[in-house]
Amino acid sequence: MRLKTELPTALKYQAVIVESAARAAGLDFYDVVFEILDAADVNGVASYGGFPVRYPSWRFGMEFERLEKGRQWGLSKIYELVINNDPTYAYLVRSNSLLEQKLVMAHVYGHADFFKHNLWFAPTNRKMLDAMGHHSVRVRRYMDLVGRDMVEGFLDRCLSLDTLIDPYLPLREHSNPPENRSAYTPASERARRALDAMSFSIVEPPRGPDTSSTRDAKDALPTYDILGFIEKHGRLDGWQQDVLHVVRDEAYYFSPQRMTKIMNEGWASFWHSRLLTGGLLDASEILDFADCHSGATSCPPGQVNPYKIGIELFRAAEARGEDLFQLRAVHNDVSLVHKLVDEEFAMRVLRPIVVPPGPRAEGAPEPSWLELKHWLLHQLSWGGLPQIQLVDVNAEGEGELVLVHHHDGRDLLLARANETLLNLSELWKGPVHLLTSLEKQGQRVVARDGEVTVHEVSAPESDVAGEPEGPSVQDVERREVV
Amino acid sequence: MFRIESDRARFREIVRGRVRQDLRKYLMTGELIGRAGNTAVSIPLPQIELPRFTFGENPKGKGGSGDGDGAESQDGEATEGDGVGGAGDQAGAHILEVDVDLDELAEMLGDELQLPNIEPRGVKELDSTGGRYNGVRRHGPDSLRHFRRSFKNALLRTIASGAYDPTAPRVVATRDDFRYRMRTACPEPDSSAVVFHMMDVSGSMGREQKEIVRIKAFWIDTWLRSQYKNLEVVYIVHDAVARVVDQHTFFHLRESGGTKISSAYELCLKQISERYRPEDWNIYPFHYSDGDNWSARDTELCVSMLRDEILPRVNQFCYGQVKSAHGSGQFKKDLDGALGTEDVLVTANINDRQDVPEAIRTFLGRGR
Repeated sequence: MRLKTELPTALKYQAVIVESAARAAGLDFYDVVFEILDAADVNGVASYGGFPVRYPSWRFGMEFERLEKGRQWGLSKIYELVINNDPTYAYLVRSNSLLEQKLVMAHVYGHADFFKHNLWFAPTNRKMLDAMGHHSVRVRRYMDLVGRDMVEGFLDRCLSLDTLIDPYLPLREHSNPPENRSAYTPASERARRALDAMSFSIVEPPRGPDTSSTRDAKDALPTYDILGFIEKHGRLDGWQQDVLHVVRDEAYYFSPQRMTKIMNEGWASFWHSRLLTGGLLDASEILDFADCHSGATSCPPGQVNPYKIGIELFRAAEARGEDLFQLRAVHNDVSLVHKLVDEEFAMRVLRPIVVPPGPRAEGAPEPSWLELKHWLLHQLSWGGLPQIQLVDVNAEGEGELVLVHHHDGRDLLLARANETLLNLSELWKGPVHLLTSLEKQGQRVVARDGEVTVHEVSAPESDVAGEPEGPSVQDVERREVV
Repeated sequence: MFRIESDRARFREIVRGRVRQDLRKYLMTGELIGRAGNTAVSIPLPQIELPRFTFGENPKGKGGSGDGDGAESQDGEATEGDGVGGAGDQAGAHILEVDVDLDELAEMLGDELQLPNIEPRGVKELDSTGGRYNGVRRHGPDSLRHFRRSFKNALLRTIASGAYDPTAPRVVATRDDFRYRMRTACPEPDSSAVVFHMMDVSGSMGREQKEIVRIKAFWIDTWLRSQYKNLEVVYIVHDAVARVVDQHTFFHLRESGGTKISSAYELCLKQISERYRPEDWNIYPFHYSDGDNWSARDTELCVSMLRDEILPRVNQFCYGQVKSAHGSGQFKKDLDGALGTEDVLVTANINDRQDVPEAIRTFLGRGR
């Protein structure tokens, strides 16, 4: 059944007004297509990460269940969804008021501008809506071929590893494409590749790890792109390799959003506020706007609200006379926070998040502004994820992978790490070692044949585990700036 | 509707698998009781999560600096707001409440304990209120007009009369053309049941004993509800005297005093003869006690009441003896001795929670 998603005339009219205001203010974006949906359908799209179609997975169903409960109990509400795509698609919620729709539209144009101009989004696929559709078809086809449970199990295993990518890889490749790759592939060649991908044989013999492939594999090391490594060098069936490819492709697509959450939301909030209070609002709407805006940017202690921190960053930058459009083009969350957070900002915006209001306990430590800044950078570095690198393969001749967790003062949750390693070992069809440290004691975690063992070792070299207080700002910078 | 519904269905399938796995656990705790609504029970499950490398505090000792809960950033651009900020961004122990239909829960219970379906006793009156619209007739209200049939008739008549012009098709229906949907009655067997939960609330029945009764009563109700369209539950408490109470009182009352079991049976019998005629109702009295009756004479009275009055009228009479610190447990022995040959009487010993599933099976396993 097709949903009726066309905007009502009144909203179309508003969209034109908001768009021209956005363009006049200097924002620049691909065409934005608004569609309007019921709240439950918006939750459906949100569960799919903003897309109308994804491959089948219970995980999306679980997310939907969670969002629906939140909506039915009035705990949370989604105002809008935007897809980084050309044209940019945005979903509005039918039950929102006209004011809310105006606000959301202005917000969407902010996101759309950010998607188009932020450096980190440059390598992303701008036809992702189509790509997601293709991914879905492919995964469904494999389910028909080898059975749903097989594909589902494999997919879950891949998804459990989908953070093991190198967020800086796409940009590196984008700015210096590998020499041996011609910039242009003729249409016939692309068609042939596409057909090959579809006409794989499921009885294709798994490729064994012969010595030459091990040598090739070693050339690719060290790497953070562990998914890519396994896709290339793992012993996978044709369909498995393709499913892994789908997962990796989507992980890389979403990765810039993880790295620019604060900037992206801050930029959009900055502009919805600027555009609406700059003439789009009727006088009668001001109070409702203020209510709605402050709801979105409220920041209770203990929670990092990207809307709040982001909008404050851009306002601080503007007050200092920075070129906002340049900032939004070249930074990610870490570098922007590093550049802009000073003592005044840290004490005004960050302190209330870290230090709960009310009477302080006697002798409770008072964080310095640098500590506050480091705390925030910590949350953001490497997309808020543990930094895990593949450093060696087949070092002990068992065909094993050796991973190093670059410790930054925060330990891994061991129970989770063990399960994740088991998945990796299963996928690699061989043992996997992880070097990390727990409470400053070096550990070697080994997953082999469905079992995990943990050995104490001296802390791995090339590691920052020796630093008691986590990385200094320089460390974070060194790792973040390519 | 978006494809999400099929993913949701798949997720629910997985959840049902989980509940099924953990059913024994639920059978021994009261966890689900407060969560039952009219048709569904809301079961809290730890969110089934894919393992990923995340920061976190390991059970022993302290972790790193800052709150290291790797806030799972949501894919896409979901703006959650409305004054709650980024709700749903904290990682950690997510609890997800999942609704499971009571019918489904009963089905799982049946599978787990291998309970047979109940064959309602005796010939019942037929319930004729049900019905289906599966007939057609010439008269009826407009709301039931069968458009397709009516139009077809009109078309046939128009063509037959030669008035039909394919280039300007015009069909006018007259009164004779109209057809209306007709309801035919589908009699369903009437299946009403009444459950009597009788509990000894004398001083020797402690908190734990009541909890056991509570768990048992919940599961028995769940099962019988799935077997009968219409189930009524009567709660009776007794020490030396018996009275009918509501559900809340039944489970929360703390009394003390002597025990005169016959008082409860008498009240139960009175209810049966006044309100639940055995011809119309399937009757299930359950009695829970620690088995310490006041006097042997009263026990004799109970036995004769059961034999002569109660047992002939009910589907099954169940006596569950909950072990308590003070109870001698004599009553079960007396019942078994005097009425052990009676088919309709089932007795069970419940020493602790572990025995609850087994006792449920004993009570419901006969398909009566």
